[in-house]
Amino acid sequence: MTRGPLFHEQTARQRIAALVDPGSFDELLPPPDRITSPYLGQLGIPVSFDDGVVIGRAKIGGKKIYLAAQVGQFVGGAVGEIHGAKLTGLFKAAARDRLPCVVVIESGGVRLHEGSAGEIAIAETMRAIFECRARKVPTIAVIGTDIGAYGGMGILSTCCDFRVMSEHGRLGISGPIVIEKWMGKKAYDSSNRALVWKTSGGKTKYLLGDADALVHDTADAVRDAIAKLLGKSSAVTLKSVKTRQKELARRLKRFGETADPDAVWKGMGVRDIARASLASGPEFAAIARRGK
Amino acid sequence: MKKPSARTLFARLFGTSARGISVEKSVLTGYAAADGTKVCVIGTCNGTYIDNAAALRLAAHVIDCIEHHPKTPIVMLVDSAGQEPNRVAEMLGLASYFGHLLSCLELARRKGHKLITVATGQAVGGAFICYGMFGDRIYALDSASVGLMPVEAMSAVTKIPVPVLRKLSKTMPSLEFGARPFALLGGVEEVWSAKEDLQKRLAKAIKVATTEDNRAELGKKRGGRKLALDIRKKVLAAASR
Repeated sequence: MTRGPLFHEQTARQRIAALVDPGSFDELLPPPDRITSPYLGQLGIPVSFDDGVVIGRAKIGGKKIYLAAQVGQFVGGAVGEIHGAKLTGLFKAAARDRLPCVVVIESGGVRLHEGSAGEIAIAETMRAIFECRARKVPTIAVIGTDIGAYGGMGILSTCCDFRVMSEHGRLGISGPIVIEKWMGKKAYDSSNRALVWKTSGGKTKYLLGDADALVHDTADAVRDAIAKLLGKSSAVTLKSVKTRQKELARRLKRFGETADPDAVWKGMGVRDIARASLASGPEFAAIARRGK
Repeated sequence: MKKPSARTLFARLFGTSARGISVEKSVLTGYAAADGTKVCVIGTCNGTYIDNAAALRLAAHVIDCIEHHPKTPIVMLVDSAGQEPNRVAEMLGLASYFGHLLSCLELARRKGHKLITVATGQAVGGAFICYGMFGDRIYALDSASVGLMPVEAMSAVTKIPVPVLRKLSKTMPSLEFGARPFALLGGVEEVWSAKEDLQKRLAKAIKVATTEDNRAELGKKRGGRKLALDIRKKVLAAASR
């Protein structure tokens, strides 16, 4: 294992530097261009020169890709008009140039301060992602940060061909605090980290098949997983959607009545819950495969 | 504006053919006709929540349409409060259920089905993103509640006082809630009044729809979302240098 900073502890630009071939990153619309949100400015909220997302061209293992990384430290990585337009443009460029597009997600979803503009931007980016997929251009979402992929960005990640997650990453729509407020602390205690991660964390998502890879919390591991997926794409066909329909129906039938995440783990073949809880991502993936 | 009941509204949109729409737990599926044009209908009514099961039922109907009714336009009616915050739904991957519904709609689009959305009631946040905003062309009734969230809710989360948000919304329609401001952003092609001949409107909407996403162009033209198109173009230009 690499000794170095953990992926979830890194900033967006550190993640990019650690993921791509040395010196290969070329940022598009970089901070010196000074493209900032007029909404935040008028609300008296500090702006950021990249509007919370770093986009550009790079290489991984010599292969050209487009790459975006959201900046969680800035308004929770939330998507505003500019942020969203940068993402839409990047996926459109990927479709046009037939180059894979990777998005490192760290976002709670739409930036509320910009109202509906961010919401439309996410919908437009989804359309651009499917443009890529129609051209068999691989689209990969990386989910391995503290904030995770929530709200519209959670849904957007499920539109990509593949999702690479670490145990640390979380994928969902409503976050634990919102659910606790809605259902009460008895139903969901948002301070119960084990429960939160078993609800939305990488391990559960991998078990259910919503994450395609479960990797160590390091940039090296994330890069290796991305590299393996760069040559692949998952076409949307009648056969693929019918298969998925059956899978999701079966999942709902089996687990729709249970509130206990351990029941889901057991149902998906994990026998030793305590051991699996402590296992690293790749160990867990192996346990899940062997059904232990 | 008075909100018409679900069945009244179906009759306005599809005439007597609205009988072909079945409603189960406020989730709509069926086949009908708009001014003589056969259509597949999916959607929600009564401001219901969309959960995993609802997403699956909508997806199943889209698949049925692709398989058995090639190229039949799909009309998506939206009146939903979105996803109910629920831990089990999250645990089972609600986002993936929505992603699946979107994939089915995308497949339909690629196979030549036109996708027309009509926001009839609530079209708020996640409810709109999980299918309605994926239409080729999106329309809204003037009585519909369209947008991310009302300013009161925005204020509660962002801690920005309501009067400040209201004042800013005069110059920034994206902060305002409703079908018309949403149209200024390009998110809605056209706002329809319930007084109009909705069957004719819908039939025409189907006829003129193209698959190109025109929302950023509209947003710029109408002045409600001035930056999105130019930023996107800048990215595309910079990427080809």
